[in-house]
Amino acid sequence: MALSRDAYREFEDIVGKENISDDPAFLDSYAFEWLAELVRPNQSHFMPRPVAVIMPASTEEVQAIIRICNKYKIKAKPISTGWYHWAAPLKEEDDTLQIDLRRMNRILEIDEKNMYAVVEPYVICAQLQAEVMKLGYDINIIGAGSSTSIVASACAYAGPGPSSFWMGNNSDNLLGMEWVTPTGEIIRTGSLGSGSGWFCSEGPGPSVRGICRGTLGSRGAMGVYTKCAIKLSHWPGPRELDVGGTVPAYRLPIPDNFRVYTIAVPDWDAWADIYYRIYDNEIGYIFHRQFNLAGADLGPALWLNYNDPTKTLGDIEELVEKPEIKELTDEMRISFQLIMAGRSMRDIELQDKVLDEILAEAGGWKVKRFCEQDMAEFTNMYLQRMGHKHMNFVWVGGYLGSWMQSGTPDWVKGYVPIAIEGLYRDAANGLLVECGGDALMGCGSQIGGGGMTGLEQFVSYDPADSDSIAAGTQHMIDAVEDATSNGFPPGKEQLYLQVGQKDEEIWASLEKSAQPMIYHFQRKIKEAFDPNNIGDRMYSILPEETS
Amino acid sequence: MALEDYRADALRCTRCAYCKWIPLDLIKSWRFSKGCPSIEYSNFHSYSAGGRLVTALSLMEGRSEVTDQVIDSVFKCQLCGNCDVTCKLCRFDMEPLAALHELRLKLVEDGHVLPQHKPVMEGFRKLNNMLNKPKAQRGDWADGLQVKDLSSTKAEVAFHAGCRYSYDGDLRQVLTTSIDLIQNAGVDLGIMGKNESCCGGRAYHMGYSPDYRKAAERNIKAWANAGVKTVVTPCADCYHTFKRLYPGAGSQVEVLHMVEFVSRLIEEGKLKFTKSIPMRVTYHDPCHLGRQGEPYVPWQGKEKKIFGQAVVYDPPRPRYNGAQGIYEPPRNVLRSIPGLELVEMERSKEASWCCGAGGGVREAYPEFSAWTANERIEEAKSTTADAIVSACPWCERNFIDATKQNDTKMKVFDVMELVQQAL
Repeated sequence: MALSRDAYREFEDIVGKENISDDPAFLDSYAFEWLAELVRPNQSHFMPRPVAVIMPASTEEVQAIIRICNKYKIKAKPISTGWYHWAAPLKEEDDTLQIDLRRMNRILEIDEKNMYAVVEPYVICAQLQAEVMKLGYDINIIGAGSSTSIVASACAYAGPGPSSFWMGNNSDNLLGMEWVTPTGEIIRTGSLGSGSGWFCSEGPGPSVRGICRGTLGSRGAMGVYTKCAIKLSHWPGPRELDVGGTVPAYRLPIPDNFRVYTIAVPDWDAWADIYYRIYDNEIGYIFHRQFNLAGADLGPALWLNYNDPTKTLGDIEELVEKPEIKELTDEMRISFQLIMAGRSMRDIELQDKVLDEILAEAGGWKVKRFCEQDMAEFTNMYLQRMGHKHMNFVWVGGYLGSWMQSGTPDWVKGYVPIAIEGLYRDAANGLLVECGGDALMGCGSQIGGGGMTGLEQFVSYDPADSDSIAAGTQHMIDAVEDATSNGFPPGKEQLYLQVGQKDEEIWASLEKSAQPMIYHFQRKIKEAFDPNNIGDRMYSILPEETS
Repeated sequence: MALEDYRADALRCTRCAYCKWIPLDLIKSWRFSKGCPSIEYSNFHSYSAGGRLVTALSLMEGRSEVTDQVIDSVFKCQLCGNCDVTCKLCRFDMEPLAALHELRLKLVEDGHVLPQHKPVMEGFRKLNNMLNKPKAQRGDWADGLQVKDLSSTKAEVAFHAGCRYSYDGDLRQVLTTSIDLIQNAGVDLGIMGKNESCCGGRAYHMGYSPDYRKAAERNIKAWANAGVKTVVTPCADCYHTFKRLYPGAGSQVEVLHMVEFVSRLIEEGKLKFTKSIPMRVTYHDPCHLGRQGEPYVPWQGKEKKIFGQAVVYDPPRPRYNGAQGIYEPPRNVLRSIPGLELVEMERSKEASWCCGAGGGVREAYPEFSAWTANERIEEAKSTTADAIVSACPWCERNFIDATKQNDTKMKVFDVMELVQQAL
């Protein structure tokens, strides 16, 4: 599909010729997306090509672009930092304009007194965290890491992360928001909508958080979020991170009022028990099952190996055979990371005592090797900044997440054995990385104060190997079946698979959801806000005929 | 290697966009968080390492063709290597910088060259330098110096001046200071003088591999004829070419940058500074001395898989990720100068922002080159330093030009200039 010259010229008039392109190779750089090969015909690494890519620099330019999209019935797909196959156009038959928001990259305001920051879509978490830490504040960095857009996680997704236990997730932390709707109207939400400033999402002024996000986030299908305010939290650490260590394993010294632990438990009952106790006792600043992303069989060896700059990935093969590593692997088979931060020394000492008591009661322990200074400082760096999330891809460049259904610890532990068995089974033929059936990773709590967790199975496949890609796809299909046949809703893999499915297949699965009428309500919302259907199907709906 | 050898790198790129930033852990501010001049200047994803990998894949798969925009995106990049450091933060199986080189070599091989590079390369072929200057004037800087001419005599150590220092009058003092220091250390030293040839590194980075190869063979042969075992140079570009590229062409000489040589003298107590320089300075790591200045490790091997699908290499592949760059020697030298206060910029060592001069950008895209240099000058100013110091004539020339254009008070020095002042 191609953009008419008239339409191209109108877009060009908005942003200037240097900020729009329809060069095929340039468009391919937007069509190429992580996960595409798992769902696209012939395992293509490319999603459908957009008809053009455009880079606005202001809300007004976004508004003008959206209006032209409506005029020519062109779909508009915004992208900020740009991860996931659904960030690209979804259907070959649609004319889709990719709106790259990277020129909208400013931190507009940090209101120290009222504890919020106002940002544009291309501000990433690492940038804002560095700036607000200078003022004694911190932000929740989402699980996908600090290279991600704050606006995207807060406005278009849920935005949980390792620090959500303390700071809440980014959809909670979203305050005022500026939204260019699919028809090109500008809506300012929450307190911003009543001219009162950015300080509140719900009012005085209109709240549209639920409308925008829908069930799982609008994911680029509901116009463009051009600015938002995000809530800041107190940061009891240093004003600047004094990073040490050798690339790539940077380390962050641990202040006296901080503690950094890797904690292990004997079984999944103890895991749930200890999570509840941590919630109840309100200890902890960052709470995450992080290092298990590399798999329970290989994780300890990977992280120790990673911390030695003289080693390569291949050295792990020998390392895992060493008796002390085997022992360590067994010791931390079910483990997670907990960073505690005290407002005072008495506070951190109290948290330490509480933790020791919890461990004694629940039968958990601190993993000595990972609590030693080198690994503790590495853990501190990793989780405070979340600057290594690309380790998801460390084995071979392909990673998909399965499971990840969220719920209470007792509920989540119910699917753990099924997820573990499923990965052992699917990796047994050697077409997926065999790192242990348990490569489950996730936030200690996805909401502030505890109460909801989830575990994502990290499945690694080779995107350069057709058989391995096929195994990845099959694993997703299997995981859906494993979940539903055991009474659990499908997990993250279903979202991935839907990108490659026909509308009718998606509708069939939505109809099987717990409350299918929600997707009819969402259709009505879409019809109201997007009458020309310029958003794609990532804002999930059911058509009227399926009622 | 050929472009096709990097197909798997392209397929395994995850579009994480780490290549656009400095290592995320090292970000200290919004202002100086960006790592890639190319994407910052041109914005389309195709101007990042990840985007260029997709371009390579798209061309290899016949999905697109080489257009003016593609050529622009491939060549509007200094090949500074920040992307290589940040990509490898979490990956052992990617070589983005090498892939970008190959993409460029492939385009040039297929005749897709930048018109701005043509006169430079014609000059290189005729005059053996990258500045289109007369061959006969190359050795003028050494007039009056008592130093062996390696065209006719032998010495264990060769001093290689490089094109920029040889012909740039503002920077030449670095050469005479260097010669003095080496000779005073009692080293058996010689120069090629007017017969010195360009290292070929900049030609290589512009994509002209056969031309580079000829230069390498010429220099390696000249050194062999002169009995040279060690080459010392004050130029970071030449240093990188000799150290990292020439071994692939058969060179076995030891390669030292002048800052390493001087740092050794200081450490051994053979050099003491007598004069104070009351100045606050910040050091700019040249890409080719810093993150790309790591030792060459010969490797020939193949990919293999362990644990089912994890990709490793047999034998283990060297991991060039900036960890072993030349960072401390220049800082040691500066710290040893009385009165001099060294302050760091936010982006330093493996996370340094490029000066803007490399990869043929200064020659082809002067505005982009100057913009990149200005960004660095702004960062230097943010430290409240009086001067920015480097160890590469291309960086210094770009900074000098940028400061002149903007009438800024920031001074620009070579480490060796300060050494000379402090002696």
